[in-house]
Amino acid sequence: MTDTNTQETPVLNTRSVVGLAVCLVIALSGIFLIPTFESRAGFGVTFWTMAALELLAMVGVAYFVLNLHEE
Amino acid sequence: MGMDPIALQAGFDLLGDGRPETLWLGIGTLLMIIGTFYFIAQGWGVTDKEAREYYAITILVPGIASAAYLAMFFGIGVTEVELASGAVLDIYYARYADWLFTTPLLLLDLALLAKVDRVSIGTLIGVDALMIVTGLIGALSKTPLARYTWWLFSTIAFLFVLYYLLTSLRSAAAQRSEEVQSTFNTLTALVAVLWTAYPILWIVGTEGAGVVGLGVETLAFMVLDVTAKVGFGFVLLRSRAILGETEAPEPSAGADASAAD
Repeated sequence: MTDTNTQETPVLNTRSVVGLAVCLVIALSGIFLIPTFESRAGFGVTFWTMAALELLAMVGVAYFVLNLHEE
Repeated sequence: MGMDPIALQAGFDLLGDGRPETLWLGIGTLLMIIGTFYFIAQGWGVTDKEAREYYAITILVPGIASAAYLAMFFGIGVTEVELASGAVLDIYYARYADWLFTTPLLLLDLALLAKVDRVSIGTLIGVDALMIVTGLIGALSKTPLARYTWWLFSTIAFLFVLYYLLTSLRSAAAQRSEEVQSTFNTLTALVAVLWTAYPILWIVGTEGAGVVGLGVETLAFMVLDVTAKVGFGFVLLRSRAILGETEAPEPSAGADASAAD
């Protein structure tokens, strides 16, 4: 427990952490809002909305992970 | 003596709503949740910059998959598709929402291991998303011609992803350490074998030729999903290949990272 690890812990980029959390919410929304969408807008709209939300969340996760730390 | 109805249905109707496949969906949910929390516990307190990126991705993959499985367990994201022949299929399209989110992120893990540029990552992710979306359109199409054409389109996209993994990414990984190469090769083999099973299962399952029923199909998809996500993450996160080149803390509190050596 002495000075064996002298390297600094890299600083997380707060925006990226928040971005990851938002992407998680978007991805979950894409799944759990299906019944709401389907009852109001029909299957076609639900299908494309779900696909768009999941794609958006995935692209967001990829982007924020690649920028997870401060430069 | 009559045949066991549970064996015929390949499952058990846990919710009493006429869906014996809920047994497999429930087990899938539990296994994905266990995987998610295991990875969270393993990654708690990790300070290595690169390792944190792998953990962020690898925790989200079974996390979203568990949500998708829970949704399907409760009957969310399942629709009836009436074919031109008059037959009606139950299609769990929430499964595709899961795959649309998770499969590109599994590829991102491999791309980070191989350290390829962002254009290559974008190409890989884009083709993978195309593979899933075309598979979904195929599952929702009404005529056999349309269904198999979209399946073929999706399978060609998959073959492109596989080719890209085995050529560009593999040669990039070959420039890295022995540990990275070993982990990359193990994970690529895992992806190649497991992901090849998906289009085969699609074509023999209810969405294709209907050789196997919905219960068996759901069970098989559950086993493939858990192995391809939790199994993949387990191999990746136990490896020291995820650590940055200048840092070497243990990646987990309880696990012996050297076990992967």
